[in-house]
Amino acid sequence: MSRFFANRLSATIPPALCGVLLVLLAAWNTNAGVRAATHNPRSGEHLTYASPVEMLFHPNQPRLYVLCQGSDEVRVLNAATYEEIRRIPVGHMPRGFSLSHDAGRIFVANSWDDTVSVIDTHLLKVVATWQVRGEPSSAIEDREGKHLFVANRVSNDIAVLDAQTGVEEKRLAAGRGASYMTPSPDHNRLYVTHVYPNPTREPTTNGNRNAPQSEITVIDATRAVVAERIPLANIAHGFHVAFSRDGRLGVAAQLHPKNLVPLAHLEHAGAFADTLTLFGADVGKPVEIPLDELERYAARPFGVAIAPDKSSLYVSSGGSEIVTVMNVPRMLAFAHTHSGPNVQNLAASARYVTTRIPVGRDPRGLTFTLDGSKLLVANRLDDTISVIDVHTKRVIKTVLLNSPAQISVLRHGEQTFYTARYSFQGQIGCANCHIDSTFDGLTWDLEPDGFGRDIVDNRLLEDIRGTEPYKWNGGNPNLPTECGARTEMYFWRSETYDDLTLTDLVVYVRSLPLRPNRWRQPDSLLTAIQERGKALFSRPTDKFGKPISEANRCNYCHSGAKGTSQKSFDVGTGKATDNSGVLDTPQLANIALTAPYLHDGSARTLEEIWTVFNSEDKHGRTNDLTKDELNDLIEYLRTR
Amino acid sequence: MTLLSRALSVSVPTSLVLLVCGFGVESAHQPAIQVIVTAAPVYLPLAAVRGGERFPKGAQLMLVRDHLTTPLIEGFTATADANVSFDGKKCLLSVKEIASDKWSVWEFNLDDRSVRKVISGDTDVIRPLYLPGDRLVYSRYTTHGFQMETAKLDGSGALPLTYMSASALPETVLADGRILFQAGFPLGTDLDHGAVPELFLVYSDGSGVESYRCDHGTPRWGGVQLASGDVVFTHGSKLARFTSPLATEAPIAAPRAEYAGAVVEAESDRWLMSARSGNDLHYSLKWWKPGMPLMENIISRDGEDLVQPVLLAPRSRPNHHPTALHKWDYANVLALDARQSRDGAMKGTPVTVRLEELDTNGNALTLGAAPVESDGSFFVKVPGDRPIRFTLLDEKGAAIRKEHGWFWMRNGEQRYCVGCHAGPEHAPENRVPAVLLRTTTPADLTGSGQSAVPGGQ
Repeated sequence: MSRFFANRLSATIPPALCGVLLVLLAAWNTNAGVRAATHNPRSGEHLTYASPVEMLFHPNQPRLYVLCQGSDEVRVLNAATYEEIRRIPVGHMPRGFSLSHDAGRIFVANSWDDTVSVIDTHLLKVVATWQVRGEPSSAIEDREGKHLFVANRVSNDIAVLDAQTGVEEKRLAAGRGASYMTPSPDHNRLYVTHVYPNPTREPTTNGNRNAPQSEITVIDATRAVVAERIPLANIAHGFHVAFSRDGRLGVAAQLHPKNLVPLAHLEHAGAFADTLTLFGADVGKPVEIPLDELERYAARPFGVAIAPDKSSLYVSSGGSEIVTVMNVPRMLAFAHTHSGPNVQNLAASARYVTTRIPVGRDPRGLTFTLDGSKLLVANRLDDTISVIDVHTKRVIKTVLLNSPAQISVLRHGEQTFYTARYSFQGQIGCANCHIDSTFDGLTWDLEPDGFGRDIVDNRLLEDIRGTEPYKWNGGNPNLPTECGARTEMYFWRSETYDDLTLTDLVVYVRSLPLRPNRWRQPDSLLTAIQERGKALFSRPTDKFGKPISEANRCNYCHSGAKGTSQKSFDVGTGKATDNSGVLDTPQLANIALTAPYLHDGSARTLEEIWTVFNSEDKHGRTNDLTKDELNDLIEYLRTR
Repeated sequence: MTLLSRALSVSVPTSLVLLVCGFGVESAHQPAIQVIVTAAPVYLPLAAVRGGERFPKGAQLMLVRDHLTTPLIEGFTATADANVSFDGKKCLLSVKEIASDKWSVWEFNLDDRSVRKVISGDTDVIRPLYLPGDRLVYSRYTTHGFQMETAKLDGSGALPLTYMSASALPETVLADGRILFQAGFPLGTDLDHGAVPELFLVYSDGSGVESYRCDHGTPRWGGVQLASGDVVFTHGSKLARFTSPLATEAPIAAPRAEYAGAVVEAESDRWLMSARSGNDLHYSLKWWKPGMPLMENIISRDGEDLVQPVLLAPRSRPNHHPTALHKWDYANVLALDARQSRDGAMKGTPVTVRLEELDTNGNALTLGAAPVESDGSFFVKVPGDRPIRFTLLDEKGAAIRKEHGWFWMRNGEQRYCVGCHAGPEHAPENRVPAVLLRTTTPADLTGSGQSAVPGGQ
């Protein structure tokens, strides 16, 4: 089945029918693939894969704990032989885990069901499950076992819990998308990174086209307060942090986008820089250094580990499927002599990068064996652990995690989504802009619309089935068009998938579920405020009794379960740099998460959609509303 | 059938040619490979980039096996420039059917030994290389020297790639799909007028032309890409490489010799090369293991150079470049910061950028000027498929930086440059260029007097 056929098919058939055909197409291809590719069997079944993301060795037990995000469990392996000892079911979509101060418990942050599982390391079972709202993504106990700190991606904060009872005592404000938390070696401080850029605080003078900013939120674990915020200029997405054992060197892995430059081509790091921020006493003022080279990239750096003897630094790159090894003394020497903007220099990494080690698909967490002789890499998308000999810098063993041998369509689609191998020189993949299959909180200047024209806000991918067409101008009727030829020409700038792979990718993207909405009450009933907002959403008359035309009510364009009529309208939000003011109606799913707003991201908040960009009431009648009433409307929208 | 009858077969069936064999007693340990080389009484490796003849006394493609050379194909006056298809079953070559003919491009089927003409004309057509998507790239002699073109493998759909008044010869197709080519530096300048042989890159639609590296000065040619991604090339008496981590070439400690051009990575740790050393009059085929002090002679021929070695084996197919050219009769270029250059600090502040084109008579014509913003950015619409160059002017109109050579943009091309000769190691800074905050309509420097239309496909 050719992409040509798929595209023509979808261009001539109504979107809904096209979707059905697409699934049939995927099934047809799947069967064909199973028949034809005996060496690479594919299955359309929904198989469960372990998807390891993090690992830790127990200091006193010969055990390796592996956090398996796909199977919602912690697997316990023999630390020497890597044979499986036990599987411990935990909550849904676990994202981070850590040992308690006495190593008697493991805390698992279950991101999609808002819980923390407490595992007894002697009993090897969950002994408590604590509620922590806001998408808990990592959990760390202080050195005395008094408090458990939980970083929450959706609520952008750190919950402080009683480490013995799980009772929440307070919350600390973090940055946007707080996700990964690393203790200093003495456990006195916790360093929190964030997967989304902080909202800009500057007034909207430039269409909200400002360089992204993030931060490392530093928590004083003893006092349970925010001690410091280390600003990360130009950083949109932060991942793991690691410390040297002496605590003098901290390293954060991060993505440095080029979203303000027209995305005209990829050569010379045109879309992203993959970088580290070095901080701590060894460095002084934080310094950002690049990992990329002139023609090779370390796409999507995630895990970081510093060798116990501080000789080498290891960074996993999910897109490039490598672990980059750096010489720490040379890296520090470079940092000391190059405090300025280093990211523009693609030759800089030659000063300190020594090796690039190919590993499995979407490598994530890194951990050293207790003796420091080996580094383990959790390869999320092929259910393996690469074991690297730190002396030879080679993979000496690949541990298989007893997962299905077959690669399902969804799994293959997910692998395709997360790799950077299809783009020019392997610089980017889908997951560069759709962080963990979501969005990135950025606006981009895509080349085909003209330089500086049609600036587009990146949209959430979850639950997009049935929201066609795609693109803000509604120009792409379906996902095969969106992900196929268009992506090849204007994003990857390189020959990309075969038809089978494109189909699998599309099936994966269409299957992405909507994460739980944290603004809805558990019983799904609306609060009084939300009910008032809902009434405003569909009101037929304004506050002065004047009728609001049907087409100017919120629920006219934002209709249906997903909040989109799948039609395009001019709601007066077009800018002088837009080629057309007629825009696709975006779905409202989890809209609370996805700032900035409007097609070009010019509204920093939901409120600004109406207070700044709706002076003529073309985007719904709202100028009769008070601030409180607008807040009611916003509170309702957050439940969508 | 006529072509078939002209293609006399080698003395053994091709199927046997593809079988494993060695290189005789002194090289019994050598790997089992088959090599095609060009044998020529005289080989002038840089003649074509001057627009001249590389094989003034003829040439013949030879198959090297069992330490012996046999003609790859007979019935032609001259053959050269072998390039094996990705599946290892066919071979492009340059052919002169009779002595008075011009060079043309043919394809030889190694299975049935049939040949067919692919590209020909009133002038020489040489140096064919396979491209992905059933296309090839080659150079055709014109009034401006050799110019690169691509075409389908059936010879149709010819598309010029280079637009300048100096020669360009394809060297190899890189794994990322770009074509590495040889031309004079500054680009668009003839070697007989002071240019130095240099290696450049262009996409297979003619867009994105740029230098591979910007440490210009030393003549560089004969580039080939290794499995590691490094590009190895020759300086004549030296070998060097471009490697991804470095912005400048890295030396290769190869034995002192005169190298005829591209090396062949026959194994990961051994290279096949054409070289001559000491009192050798002619290039011969040699093995060299990087790091070793000496090369090992494989085969030589009395009175002839053995050059242009290629492996007769399947090889990885490079990526196909999906062209994203707009349907325009012009191009747009955005300079993010024209002040940035490897040429060092600028004496003055650029206020205006002037565009010149080279007309068909070789005269530089000024097409117009556009403002340079305070951050060094400018956005201009330029004529496509023409040799052009920029000059930065200060507030008094004095030139404070001028491009040394000429480059081109394809009709429908829209791209940015980080600076003016900023170097390939220089990545863009993440900021909106000031010119795009002022206008998204490029200043029209096409000479047409019409304003540019923003937007595209």
